[in-house]
Amino acid sequence: MLQVEHLTKIYPDGTVALRDVNFTVEEGEFLVIIGLSGSGKSTLLRCINRLVEPTEGRILWNGRDITQANQAELRMIRREIGMIFQHFNLVRRSSVMTNVLSGRLGYTPPAWSLVNRYRRADRQRAVQALARVGIPDKAQNRADQLSGGQQQRVGIARALMQEPKMILADEPVASLDPVLAHSILGYLEKINQEDNVTILCSLHFLDLVQRYASKVIGLREGRLVFEGDSEDIRQMSDERFREIYGEEAERLGA
Amino acid sequence: MSDYQSTEKRPSLIHGLLSFILPGLGQMIAGQWARGISLLISVIVLGFLSIWTIAQRARFPDYEVSTRVFILLLLQAGALLVFLIALRYLLGRFFIKDVSGQALTQVGLGIFYVLALLLVADSLIAAAGSASDISQVFGSTGVLAAGALAAFWFWQASDAARIGADIAVPSMIPAVLIACVLIFVLGWNITKIDLPKAVREYRDTQVILRRIVWPWQSAFEYETQAVEVSAKIQAPCPEGAEGPPANQPQEDEAYIIVTPTCGELTERTLTGSIELGTELTIVGGNFAPGSTVEILWKNPIGNPFRPRGVGETTIQVGPDGSFVTNLNIPSAVIPDTAAGAQIHTLIVRQESAVVFTGNLSREMNLALVGMLETIMLGLMATFFGIILAVPISFLAARNLMSPIVTTLSGVAGGLLLMVPALWLAFIGTNQISGRIGGLEGAPLVTASTAILLVAALGTLGWRTGSWGMRTLGERAPDILSRVVTALVFGILGAALGYGLGTGFSRGILSIPLGPEAAAQLETRTAIAGAILLGTLSLVYAYRKGVHGEISIGIVVYAIVRTLMNIIRSIEPLIWALVGIIWIGPGPFAGTIALTIHTVAALGKLYSESIESIDPGPIEAIQATGANRIQTIMYAVVPQVLPPFISFTIYRWDINVRLSTIIGLVGGGGIGFILIQWIRQFQYEPAGIAVWLITITVAALDYISSEIRERFV
Repeated sequence: MLQVEHLTKIYPDGTVALRDVNFTVEEGEFLVIIGLSGSGKSTLLRCINRLVEPTEGRILWNGRDITQANQAELRMIRREIGMIFQHFNLVRRSSVMTNVLSGRLGYTPPAWSLVNRYRRADRQRAVQALARVGIPDKAQNRADQLSGGQQQRVGIARALMQEPKMILADEPVASLDPVLAHSILGYLEKINQEDNVTILCSLHFLDLVQRYASKVIGLREGRLVFEGDSEDIRQMSDERFREIYGEEAERLGA
Repeated sequence: MSDYQSTEKRPSLIHGLLSFILPGLGQMIAGQWARGISLLISVIVLGFLSIWTIAQRARFPDYEVSTRVFILLLLQAGALLVFLIALRYLLGRFFIKDVSGQALTQVGLGIFYVLALLLVADSLIAAAGSASDISQVFGSTGVLAAGALAAFWFWQASDAARIGADIAVPSMIPAVLIACVLIFVLGWNITKIDLPKAVREYRDTQVILRRIVWPWQSAFEYETQAVEVSAKIQAPCPEGAEGPPANQPQEDEAYIIVTPTCGELTERTLTGSIELGTELTIVGGNFAPGSTVEILWKNPIGNPFRPRGVGETTIQVGPDGSFVTNLNIPSAVIPDTAAGAQIHTLIVRQESAVVFTGNLSREMNLALVGMLETIMLGLMATFFGIILAVPISFLAARNLMSPIVTTLSGVAGGLLLMVPALWLAFIGTNQISGRIGGLEGAPLVTASTAILLVAALGTLGWRTGSWGMRTLGERAPDILSRVVTALVFGILGAALGYGLGTGFSRGILSIPLGPEAAAQLETRTAIAGAILLGTLSLVYAYRKGVHGEISIGIVVYAIVRTLMNIIRSIEPLIWALVGIIWIGPGPFAGTIALTIHTVAALGKLYSESIESIDPGPIEAIQATGANRIQTIMYAVVPQVLPPFISFTIYRWDINVRLSTIIGLVGGGGIGFILIQWIRQFQYEPAGIAVWLITITVAALDYISSEIRERFV
């Protein structure tokens, strides 16, 4: 479904974020990317929907090369790929409803957006999406009135609005406490299993990785240093994990 | 003093002496180059500044004399300082040994220094002031400047002595303080501060100030009620004439009785002597007790005037309401052709109560209209400012512009088609505006048609052109699009070079060569510029190739920012002058001036608030597949709305304030009226205007801060 081939990203200041990364994601997988902060996880995820322009390599999305897409094609690809962020990236002053509806922008004629118009079906879809993440009553609240966990659920609802085939999740639980982390990842797992949406998620708590991942890749200094399925992870010793991951690896609530 | 005793090292006399001869030399020899040079420069700059200031301000604008006098003063001040230093040294050496005595003596010495300085300075000033060619102002400034410069000179010499002896490097603070004193003295002189004058002439201000501070009497209309009583008199009085009958006393009305009722006019002969006319006795009754009455004379034609030189015309009425006074009949020219008895009228006029009508005076009305004009002027300028500044601010926001890149061939194609598209737009505008009556007949329709056509066709041309070139680059052989790109840029560069060459010839060559010679060279420099820039851009575009990217966003950003900075640094007052030349005096000129400045100022504030937004939401909205407009609408606008509103209200506040100032130079509004009243010495109306401005500005200040608090 998604093939990443020889992906390299060098930032204008000379930092090499990714070096020749190759991997494949099958439909319906829950792929977790592990690695130290600064190892290139965020860059990798952002290269896939070209929030960051890759320097070299190809990213094949259902056979189409994302890196060669022009602006119009890129928007078509982006709307099939939802994204959620570590800091939620909600528009804090807008209402929850507006934030969720903005997930539908890729399907809305641009001129409509000037007057904040959406299809009626989209509004119903937004209500359903909020109900699905368990906060149907918060629709009219301002986004910054919500707690961290609630904001991330709005983020998931926004991604759901895109009817995505894949969701990129960049450290979705790093700003949340452990209990909320399970709640958020639970929603992702549910979406993964019920809607057969592929998930690409970067995490750095080992027990979360073991609990949710169906496949794991490890990055270190921009290189792919580990590739395995959930069984490999479960049987992996802490020492081996630390070897890939670095000294900062920690267990959540162990 | 403690330094002398606690350190074993003695100050180096030789370094001090060197610095005394040439400031900074001792420091330089001791290895402190930077310190020495900066001290030398300081002494030179301060010395020349002093001499220049004094030469400008003294009665003789003659450098030679002022330099001579200044150096004389410098020597005197130096001698005084040497005396004081020697005194202190001797005292320290021979008299003061114990600590308590030291402290006591230092206080005493301080007082002595101040007294000696004051005494000497005062006598010097007096001497300088009495000298024929030296003014008082020059004297005091000269003495103080010379004293400060001498102190600076001595300080740097002692500094060199310490540095030379390798005693710890002294702090520069005393030097800085002395330099500050010197500059303060010169500044005092240059700004012509004259405190005695300010005190002396304050009393004259009070009269005017009182009228400005409480001008409200002029804000309303008053009517005076007057009682007029008249009596008829015949003059001249030919033989046998009896004159009109005299008045009779009245019971309850004011009356006058004038006797006799027939007499001769005052004659003014050609030699200047005056022959007074018949003396009249005027008896009045039933006037308001204790009031004053005016006597007026009305000649037979009917023109009333106040008679002069023939007796009192302002009469005090007694406590019973009556008065008696004498008046000679004034002179009046009676033409020879006048026929019949010439009957004059004597009028006694009593101005009684001044009645408050409750109507606003003309001045108050003018001021209110002016104030309204000013507020509206600020409002309109802010309104136009917002409309223009919002789109411009997006172009001037680095974070939005920097990701916009395009290929060189895209730019080439865009420009290639945009030029004919714009040409089409202009033709279309002319056609349409011709049908509907042009700019004079239907200004709004014409203007909006022009804007719409230019924007729509220009964008269309640009987009089709860049799309075409991109497709060409993908399909056709590389060389073709490369050549087209290079050619377009070559032509563009040549056009730019032609313009620059012409400008160079007209602007720079014409200064040394004169306009005629430069005009002959104009074509040659223009063509040279065209060839140079054309070749350069041709080569650049060819080498960069079809897919070479240029950050067009940053280029636009830089151009917009630079323009805004230039416009903003020109004061609104100057833009008002431009507006007045353009439109003529009046509120429209002021609106134009304020609009121009507002666009630049708001554009900067807006773009800075765009630059400081959280980039996260932009990323998130882009990731949903939104295009650029949608991203701005959903990720940027909600974030910048509160600062935009806040800055806009703030700017409106400023604009109303500025529009009063702009009125002073002819930009309309209350300032326009105010400056006229000030120039006509109409202080009370001016006071009303000042009051209105103050009230409005204070109210706006309050309202705007309230609104801003709500929004932010």
